Amino acid sequence: MKQAMSELNYQGTVAFLKNGRLETMKYFHAAEKGVQQERLLSLNSPLREIVRDADKVSCLFKSTQQIVVDHRPFGGSFLVDMPENLDELSATYDFIKVGEEEVAMLPAYVVVVQPRDDFRYGKRLWLEQQKFLPLKVELYDGSGNTLEQVVFTELQVKEALPFVDVNLAQSAAAAGDVQHIHQLQPQSPDQATFVVGSLPPGFREIFFTRRSMHDSKQPVEHLVLSDGFASVSIYLEKSSPSGAQAADNFQTLGAVNFFSRTLGGSLITVMGEVPAKTVRFIAEGIKLRHSNE
Amino acid sequence: MDEELNQRISQLIDNELSHDEALSLLHKMRKQPQLLDKMSRYEAISHAVKAEVFLSAHTDFAERVRQQIQHEPAYLLPQHNPLLRRNYKMFALAASIAAVAIMASQAPHAPIEPFRAPDMAMVKPQTPAATMTKPQAQEEPSVSVAFRPVQQDQFSTRFNDYLQAHTDSVYINGQANFQSYARVAAYGRE
Repeated sequence: MKQAMSELNYQGTVAFLKNGRLETMKYFHAAEKGVQQERLLSLNSPLREIVRDADKVSCLFKSTQQIVVDHRPFGGSFLVDMPENLDELSATYDFIKVGEEEVAMLPAYVVVVQPRDDFRYGKRLWLEQQKFLPLKVELYDGSGNTLEQVVFTELQVKEALPFVDVNLAQSAAAAGDVQHIHQLQPQSPDQATFVVGSLPPGFREIFFTRRSMHDSKQPVEHLVLSDGFASVSIYLEKSSPSGAQAADNFQTLGAVNFFSRTLGGSLITVMGEVPAKTVRFIAEGIKLRHSNE
Repeated sequence: MDEELNQRISQLIDNELSHDEALSLLHKMRKQPQLLDKMSRYEAISHAVKAEVFLSAHTDFAERVRQQIQHEPAYLLPQHNPLLRRNYKMFALAASIAAVAIMASQAPHAPIEPFRAPDMAMVKPQTPAATMTKPQAQEEPSVSVAFRPVQQDQFSTRFNDYLQAHTDSVYINGQANFQSYARVAAYGRE
């Protein structure tokens, strides 16, 4: 499946149901000589075109000609993120083929990625039977309720598809502006002022950096954890009055859960597409590196 | 056969079937739940394309309303006085509307909320105790949601920034908060 997703040229119409919103978009995946590009065109307002080249995501808003160029810490896919080695997931997930169905008028195998504990959500994948492209992906909670869904309503595999050049200069000249979210240098997690005392099975630290955000006077520390499928971010920043208000509180947005707490004058927030139990478990195990707190 | 059924489901959504044809299709749907799912998907796409707004109802929504109405006490009471009966009817109607509102707010599936302007007011507060006793998706109201008041702007900006740094799905959802990233550009290192 991962090989098909990265090596084939394909296009179609995809409905994304994420964070309580339904977005229908045209999707294009071009691949040539190991280089790939994903492109999304929104069909509804706000009209925008999103292009991913490796870890760079460019988003052009049609009405304002505003462009955002975002260098992500790591590449992925708009459809579904798959780890390089599925064997690594065998301790935390079971992969079960549960049947065959049709999606977008194409026969598909239905595969359930069932978590072995309740620290993570499960996935259902509908894989097209000839090429093994994902036609539909569902994220579901412990009760089997669907939290997110990505589904093709039509899909065509092509011999070749063109790569799109995001012409920043031309677009910026057309009265728009370009905002760059620069690549942040990864740092060793050992440099963090906090340590994660307890991690759910399978999760490991994969990225750490310091970044400026909103009105924080000092850089915010950002640590990313992953179990291969699900990722969790931990943020630590100096606590402010509004931060103190946010502490010891759960927030939720679609499948994403947040939990904040204060620790030694800092606000710690743990968030990710995992159950509320998981973000709280991780947050409560965090300690300051040079403190007895 | 599938194509023909798909076509008829599409026609049903567009109100293009005759009464008999619609009835026949609905009978088939009752026997084949997957057809209901298909109609739900078609509806979602149709709403998204036409109106950018989509409120999802469970496939058994009508059945649950019917069952609830059957249990309304007003239907079991004597109805000698026409004026009194009208009052009971009004009471039953009000109770039914209330029941529908309660059932909708307790729907077990994750909410599909109407399109809103991209701001993090969509982040909803929950008490830790409530969240830990039940999965999040079961706690979420599906139609009417009380959001945090305006003075939570600063609070929301923080969580929006966290979300944007964590996942690029904000571009898909059009939820990205780009204002704060002007500052990131100033401090970030290439």
